[in-house]
Amino acid sequence: MVVIAVTGKGGTGKTAVAALLVRYISEKTSKVLAVDADPDSNLPDALGVEVERTLGDVRELFQVSRDSLHDKSSWLEGKIFETIHEFENFDLLVMGRPEGEGCYCFVNNLLRGILKKFMRHYDYVIVDCEAGLEHFSRKTIESADYIIVVTDTSRKGLKTARKIKELAKELELNFREIFLVGNKVAGDEAKRVIKDFAKKENFVLLELLPYDERVVELDLKGEPIVNLPETSEFARRVRFIAEVLTGWGE
Amino acid sequence: MRKKVEIPEGKKVKVSVGEEEFPFEISPMFEGERIRKGDMFVELAGPKQPGFELVISLPSDQVEDLKATLVGVDVDEMEEGGRYPFAMIYYIAGEKIDPDIEPIVERRNHEFQNYIEGFMHINSRDTIWCRIGKNMIKKGLKSLLQIAKATMLLFKNEMPFIEKIEALYITDRELVEKLLEEMARPIYEERDARVEKLHDEDVDEFYSCSLCQSFAPSHVCVISPDRPALCGAITWFDARAACKIDPEGPNRAIPKGECLDPIAGEYSGVNEFVKQESGGSVEKVKLHSFFDAPHTSCGCFEVIGFYMPEVDGIGFVHRGYPDTAPNGLAFSTMAGQAGGGKQTVGFLGVGMAYFRSKKFLQADGGWYRVVWMPKELKEKVLKYIPKDMRDKIATEEDAKTMEELKEFLKRVDHPVVKGVVRPVDGKKITDGWLEEKEEEEKEEREEVEKGPEVPATFPTQIPTQVPQISAPTIRLVIKNAKIYIDKVVIRKVEDKKE
Repeated sequence: MVVIAVTGKGGTGKTAVAALLVRYISEKTSKVLAVDADPDSNLPDALGVEVERTLGDVRELFQVSRDSLHDKSSWLEGKIFETIHEFENFDLLVMGRPEGEGCYCFVNNLLRGILKKFMRHYDYVIVDCEAGLEHFSRKTIESADYIIVVTDTSRKGLKTARKIKELAKELELNFREIFLVGNKVAGDEAKRVIKDFAKKENFVLLELLPYDERVVELDLKGEPIVNLPETSEFARRVRFIAEVLTGWGE
Repeated sequence: MRKKVEIPEGKKVKVSVGEEEFPFEISPMFEGERIRKGDMFVELAGPKQPGFELVISLPSDQVEDLKATLVGVDVDEMEEGGRYPFAMIYYIAGEKIDPDIEPIVERRNHEFQNYIEGFMHINSRDTIWCRIGKNMIKKGLKSLLQIAKATMLLFKNEMPFIEKIEALYITDRELVEKLLEEMARPIYEERDARVEKLHDEDVDEFYSCSLCQSFAPSHVCVISPDRPALCGAITWFDARAACKIDPEGPNRAIPKGECLDPIAGEYSGVNEFVKQESGGSVEKVKLHSFFDAPHTSCGCFEVIGFYMPEVDGIGFVHRGYPDTAPNGLAFSTMAGQAGGGKQTVGFLGVGMAYFRSKKFLQADGGWYRVVWMPKELKEKVLKYIPKDMRDKIATEEDAKTMEELKEFLKRVDHPVVKGVVRPVDGKKITDGWLEEKEEEEKEEREEVEKGPEVPATFPTQIPTQVPQISAPTIRLVIKNAKIYIDKVVIRKVEDKKE
């Protein structure tokens, strides 16, 4: 199992990158689990699939019905399996809404155990996660092998990238590598900004993705990014990232 | 009395006896494997088809060892991608086997079937959900009887007290549905009823829970059959299951030791454990006591209990109740005082499930000492309240302030008014409301001002009343209490009407 976390500030295009990675990696193996761990983004839309169940709903259901459950761990495991959406080339787990009030210690502890046992049977787990890396900090997802931080050239995007790197270290995620991917990079000046940043912050710069009108448009309309023509520069370069990651992964 | 299933005439039946070679691997490394839809040959039971699993104990002469029977279609007659009803019944026999052990054996079916490569098993009882992977068929799986045999061998290997085991698998819809209603569900209900009857004295071990220690370092939950964790999430059974998986994890076994006080629920083993786990800050814990060495609270509790000296009774308020209780405090304020792993006399965090405990605060009179709870909470736990108390516990509709509460309690003649007799041993534990004629003992008040961390132990059963010298004044009635106070500030307040 190889866990790839794709993260970055909202609006930098991380979900587009994550969705295309799911698509390209699932061409090589059908044992791919996509995880939407960012309540503010929409990986299912980007993948062009519909979902109606989230792990957050299951967790809430657990909280209200736990008094009447006899084997909570087994119940939860069953519900998680029911929450997984199955598509032709990949499975999808949507983490969903954040916790409400009350104590989540026990349910999270059960989740940790179940997800750990369950995820290891996939070849690749691709997680679209928000910059706070919430599910990693709670250890509901145990660790990431590769962390891909997507950023544009904006100061905020870069600042968030730096913070993520610090956080990943603090959380002791034991990742093999943390990469930077520049997005919406138009012109030499933009390239230089990202390259200098990567050097200064000690990131491995994996790829520079061009500014692509169609990516922005698909995103705006909430249409599946996976419909992006194969021939586009953007798609070509993300495919290259997929190849690099699977090359190392094996 | 347990009976074997009678297979109706005219059904398609297949039988196989004895050991055999399996065309699949068996290993714990396959645990948790999900057979993806695309890799699935067929689905058995699950969200879309009926099914169940059941282990029943029988006399040894009725069980034919390693015999597997299938009623209904087999794998080689199933359509790829199809979904079928599925029941798995195991008959077990052995010297140490009785109906009590059935659920423990049954629970392992999940684990063992997960060891089988290419076979998925999820859930339990009547919610089971299985899948057979295409790879299993490719490798040469011909019959469900092979799965049954492999599972039976795992049972016998891992649980040597099973001397004989026989399996009956059913894919025939009519029979699955019939047995589910007539055989399986009544047995599940019978088992659940047995679980409800389990008490502290029936077990040798309690379990700890230290999941919350990141929030409350000195807090440790003691989970017994009669006292679930105060977050409401973990019962004794849950904790026992977790402890079996990870004995050194957050849920560890606590040998009960000697029972020092059967009424308050004090055990030498529990005392030793909490002392060690709290770093010495908690010396002892009595499981069913509100006033004397009460259980500590993390911050997770669903409900908080609070003592109201004005009426000498206990109120409860749950997390979702937004207003203040008759003592003028809201849940959050009281939670802040009692949380953090402190042993705070006067406040007690509990889980909703504790209200149904037969030992609910039995040292302090249990329900007969409870005077107030929000309507929403009262309705939830109403069936656990003794019938003669149901109309005597006030809600916010009866009383919002202390004065209203006093009036209400007098009107309904609540036991606290004339003195509570605790049902467990018939002992009168409170004196009731002593009217203003009580002797005055003013010195007590100053004693608590000695400085930080000095425990001031008040003699039990002696009401400490501060005299009404001149208005305005305060009145302290403290009974049955040990108090640790950092600092007490007593300030004169402006005269105002209540």
